[in-house]
Amino acid sequence: MDVTTGRHNLTEPEAFALLERFGLPIVPYAAAATADEAAAAADRLGYPVALKVVSPDILHKTDVGGVALGLADAPAVRRAFADVQARARAAGPQAALRGALIARMAAPGAEVIIGMTRDPQFGPAIMFGLGGIFVEVYKDVAFRLPPLTEADAREMIGEIKGLPILTGFRGRPPCDLDALTRCILSVSRLIEARPDLEELDLNPILAYPTGCVVVDAKVVLRGAPGA
Amino acid sequence: MSAPHGFGDLAALLTPRSVAVVGASATPGKLGHTIFRNILEAGFAGPVVPVNPRAEAILGRPCTPSVDRLPAPVDLAVIIVPAEAVPETVAACGRRGIQGVVVITGGFAEVGEEGARLQVALADAARRHGVRVLGPNCQGLNNPHHGLCASWPLLTGRGRMAVVSQSGTVGAALMDWAAADGLGVSCFISLGNRADVDEADLLAALGRDPHTRCIALYLEGIKDPVRFAAAARACPAPLVVLKPGRTPRGRAAAESHTRSLAGDDAVAGGFLRQLGIHRAEDVEDLYDAARALAYLERPRGGRLLILTSSGGCGVLATDVAATHGFILPPPPPALAAALRAFLPGRCIIGNPLDLTGDATADWYRRVIELAAPHYDAFAVIFGDPIEGAADAVGATPVQCVTFLGGGGVERAERARLHARGIPVFPAPERGIRALTRLLPRAGVPGSPVRGSRFQE
Repeated sequence: MDVTTGRHNLTEPEAFALLERFGLPIVPYAAAATADEAAAAADRLGYPVALKVVSPDILHKTDVGGVALGLADAPAVRRAFADVQARARAAGPQAALRGALIARMAAPGAEVIIGMTRDPQFGPAIMFGLGGIFVEVYKDVAFRLPPLTEADAREMIGEIKGLPILTGFRGRPPCDLDALTRCILSVSRLIEARPDLEELDLNPILAYPTGCVVVDAKVVLRGAPGA
Repeated sequence: MSAPHGFGDLAALLTPRSVAVVGASATPGKLGHTIFRNILEAGFAGPVVPVNPRAEAILGRPCTPSVDRLPAPVDLAVIIVPAEAVPETVAACGRRGIQGVVVITGGFAEVGEEGARLQVALADAARRHGVRVLGPNCQGLNNPHHGLCASWPLLTGRGRMAVVSQSGTVGAALMDWAAADGLGVSCFISLGNRADVDEADLLAALGRDPHTRCIALYLEGIKDPVRFAAAARACPAPLVVLKPGRTPRGRAAAESHTRSLAGDDAVAGGFLRQLGIHRAEDVEDLYDAARALAYLERPRGGRLLILTSSGGCGVLATDVAATHGFILPPPPPALAAALRAFLPGRCIIGNPLDLTGDATADWYRRVIELAAPHYDAFAVIFGDPIEGAADAVGATPVQCVTFLGGGGVERAERARLHARGIPVFPAPERGIRALTRLLPRAGVPGSPVRGSRFQE
């Protein structure tokens, strides 16, 4: 726990586990403490896989070289496990490293973000918008306050300037807006159930013609780990 | 005068039967004089008592030396005594049985710690005695339908829009423009520091006011979002809010994307949209939206005909209309033929429909009549000195009138239109932007159309 803020970050596997309990569709994944475990997990999940460093202290994994994508076989996974640990260690010697998360590579899709934060005046707020790494540049997002109705969730989606990207553009098929709506409502239920939830970033969520999948998650809770 | 109606425990503030001005002054130019004089000159029908220990009489009314010595309780006390004396004055009002108090005086929470302590003392005194307080540090209130102008400037026009403002000047400006347009207001309330009465209380009260068709609010912050949301949902009148948002927030180093994007104003914007509250972009837009919502019918849909005597204005209007979700179908062939039968060949029968510079009011009237079945709303732009323009427009179907470039004729026709309760906009963009507020979408561009509680 950060004693100045009274908050702590969940590791990504912990975050995925919490989200799954609320019905959010998570990319197939496994946690691995060693290179052997990583290779075994990749064999089970099916190649290609992504490998990401697990640490409660690293919020932006890509920035520290903590992500390896498109690993095609077990040797690549083993190499990536070692490389990722080394780069993360070099970037932040104080960070607690807890192995890696292995996930099946998701097919390309439209990238959206669903998030949550506590506004000092309005309390918990849910965000939806176009996602990906440029989200803070485009700022194409909408906010609502939970508890959300289905109408609220659909209206948030409809408010996005980039809506045409989600509804079908240049011959591309439309994304499954019902699935995105359900994800927004699941997050609303999560907020109701967890008053210790402080921050949430699900970015990106990949949206497809049928369904969607959460590929990356950051969850910040109030209080000490395990409390 | 009848007993205070319908405003619950704000009745003493909004519809008092009698008023005391505590700190009334005999010196012209002082607020204590101006407010007292305005109450008298606005024609308040009940007793108005000046309370001042150092004057015999003010403007012909004998003074009472203190609140305790009032011969009879009054419903409302307007307080303009120095800040340090206010808490005890409020307590004295409570003891005397006065139920509503407006504190004009500043020097409370807005000036710092000492002022904040005084404000707490004021609120405590009010609570102990069951007194409702507006302010402190406010510009008073004006309820023209009740003949009460406990504010400045002196304005008495009776209208349909209520103005609730955290800034006295912004609120007074709207009142002033409404007065200049001959539209008036239903009520003007300056919130001040909101030690007690706040915007949620006023939404509840004004929602029950038969004169109020729209409530315009200027708010820098929302005192209690949960109560405000409940009051907004229960309020039958449409709401339009101007809320500045750029309070800078310190950025923590490792912020989530969501926290970073929540930033200064995004959550407040979402909050207002979620409640179906229109959001104004600036003070002018607040006024334009309020008068459109208060005075114009609701269109059934988004088919708009732009009817103009000026090609340039037609183009400007088209730009704004298209961006805000109107559709602009051209006149169907049968309608076009009927129009060509009486309009000269130089008129451009499209959408915009350009009647050209020597258009007559009668052409406008006949076009609207013939085109009414095909469109949900009309943007009627008089761009020249068109005599009789005021007779050419009506309430149904929805017609939003813009008048510009018409000199003395424009001024005369505009006055006649305002006398009929038809707002007139001074530029095409302002007229179209205001008309957009009436669409059945709760003011959210691009969102899927949903049933709005504002729809008739």
